[in-house]
Amino acid sequence: MKCSVLAVILAVMVLGLGASAGTISGKVSGVNGESVVYVEAPAGKMFPAPTAHPLIDQKGLMFQPHLTVIQVGTTVDFLNSDTVAHNVFWTSVGGNKKLTHNLGTWPKGEKRSFKFDNPGAVPLLCNVHPEMSGYIVVVPTPYFVTTDKTGEFKIENVPDGSYSVTAWHEGAKNQSKPVSVAGDTKADFTLSK
Amino acid sequence: MHPRQRIVRILLSISAVVFISDASYAIPAFSRMYGTSCSTCHVDFPKLNDFGKAFKDAGFKFPKDDEGFIKVPPVMLGAPANKELFPHTIWPGQIPGVPPIGLRYNHFFQVVSQNRNSFNLQSPTDPAGQQFIPRTDFQTGLFSIFTAGNFGSDIAFWVDDDISVSGANSNGGLGDAYLRFVNLSRLLKLPTDSVNLRVGQFELDLPFSQARSWNLSGWDIYSQANIGAAGVQNVNNAFALSNAAQGVEISGGHHYGGYQYSLAIVNQNTGQPVGGGVGVSPQVAFTSDSNFKDLYARFQYRFNLERDPASRREIQAAGATGPRDHTYLSLGTLYFYGRSVQRFAGQDTSGSGLVLTAREPFYRVGADFNFNYHALNLFGQFLYGRDQNLLPIMPSGATLPTGFATGSAAHFSGGFLEADYVVYPWMVAIMRWDRVNSTADMLSGVGADQNAPPANSYFSPFSSVRNRYTPGIQFLIHANIKTSFEYQIRPKQIVYAPGTNIPLTGAFRTNSAVVGLEFVY
Repeated sequence: MKCSVLAVILAVMVLGLGASAGTISGKVSGVNGESVVYVEAPAGKMFPAPTAHPLIDQKGLMFQPHLTVIQVGTTVDFLNSDTVAHNVFWTSVGGNKKLTHNLGTWPKGEKRSFKFDNPGAVPLLCNVHPEMSGYIVVVPTPYFVTTDKTGEFKIENVPDGSYSVTAWHEGAKNQSKPVSVAGDTKADFTLSK
Repeated sequence: MHPRQRIVRILLSISAVVFISDASYAIPAFSRMYGTSCSTCHVDFPKLNDFGKAFKDAGFKFPKDDEGFIKVPPVMLGAPANKELFPHTIWPGQIPGVPPIGLRYNHFFQVVSQNRNSFNLQSPTDPAGQQFIPRTDFQTGLFSIFTAGNFGSDIAFWVDDDISVSGANSNGGLGDAYLRFVNLSRLLKLPTDSVNLRVGQFELDLPFSQARSWNLSGWDIYSQANIGAAGVQNVNNAFALSNAAQGVEISGGHHYGGYQYSLAIVNQNTGQPVGGGVGVSPQVAFTSDSNFKDLYARFQYRFNLERDPASRREIQAAGATGPRDHTYLSLGTLYFYGRSVQRFAGQDTSGSGLVLTAREPFYRVGADFNFNYHALNLFGQFLYGRDQNLLPIMPSGATLPTGFATGSAAHFSGGFLEADYVVYPWMVAIMRWDRVNSTADMLSGVGADQNAPPANSYFSPFSSVRNRYTPGIQFLIHANIKTSFEYQIRPKQIVYAPGTNIPLTGAFRTNSAVVGLEFVY
């Protein structure tokens, strides 16, 4: 957690060079449930990845949590808590099928880890239980948020400036729009399938 | 384009109308209860994968931590704490939270080769049309209901019934209906799952289930009865291994690795009319007309051949890209012993009438193997059957038989060999060879009894050996919807003039192409 905060502070310094930070808030509509809203990286800007490893569990024939958002370069731990065999694989990252990967099989109580170096949505699947579904959304900056179930969101501590902001939802088309952040800024999205 | 890709594209184009549809919401009982796909337990329904075998062995529940997987909580028939009050209260049980009911329907389309005309030409004026084989035919199959689950305390249940057969609502019949008490061995301080008890009506523990076969047509040897040639043999045993049996069964072990056995005591079931027979009127009585109970025994041992010892012991093997069925070889044997009953109107030495009962001991003995390597499953069965043959004795001067003398035994043999290859998880290619060697079948088919010739010409086996080759392919449109295709290269047949043994045709095959469509929900 400390590392994440440090990373955000560092990112703020790099992005804004001391400029004041604002907030992007709004609503994602047209879809039901949680969406992800994140700020795209300005050209040439890199953000150090947090060192913490988020955990995705396979329990009760489900990926838990169903949706995880991470920053590029983050390592995710995959745990199997079930007494049945599972695997984890994905067919693409951000729609790029060349980035397909299969983590194989491991028994109950053990973990396997993977570092995600490419941005985009990662659809998690299990080849034994095809109904199992999970998503990792790999985003390029530390400025991201998961909406509440009504679609409302607020991204805080975004340095003032001009950005491209993207909204993602499972099964819907991404939508990006330019946003100029200066203090509190509004940005609404309407997604469609 | 890669040849395999080309084949897939062609198949997809041909089947586009059928295949392209919205997501399926139709799922059978266990899928509903556990919130999981049919493919968790089935390779190509109803064929079970290793996990499905373990699920069945465990009494229709997950082998470990079952409660953690149930998405619809069961209804408790008494709090678990009531166990401490026993015997002053009923032992607490449970029923599934949703009615565990599944339905299955199938439909067929058949095309018969031109050779059918070799038969049709023999009865061109048959008014009823019963002697005519059409070129094409749509056939309504089964509409079945099935329910299964676990009542807690390791008591499993299964009932299936064909509500409708061939479009006729009243033709259906009860399939399996039983209670299974799993892991009774824990009460006897024996190894886990080494003793289970099943009571009711059930298919015998065959190496490969005919009742839940994934093929469009059953394996011939499991349907083989032993009906002796008229005038030569007095065997009239309609028993076939695929028949449902009523009785009790003790079993143990696992179908997914190691040993597995079953011992069953079942009603005599040889198809003789109740209390009836030759010259004897049937009487209202019990459905089994023999006090003797038939015996069935089976033993198999399955060698899981994974290199990793830890993986060998698991229900599924740990593959590099995910869990899968083990590479395994199982070897097994079966034995059935029973008595076939026939009754005759006879007389005693003084000439008074009496009913003569012949109880002819018979047995079936078989061996089987099952080999699985990744997507390839190769398996086979050999079976030998033998019936003692008691011939009626008619002393000179007597008008009816007075007893029996032992004649030559009636026997048959045969089996099948099948290879299933999972091309894709939704496409399975199948090749089968069925073989039955029964001299009695051929002699019976000739219609040698000139005193009682059949009314019409009919098919007869051309030789004692009947070979059938059946390539097929099956597609899962969804995990619960399947379309299957078989091309049956059938045994040679011939048509004789009734009661004369004079052949009316040369030998010919009526090969058939059969397409089936079925779904469960």
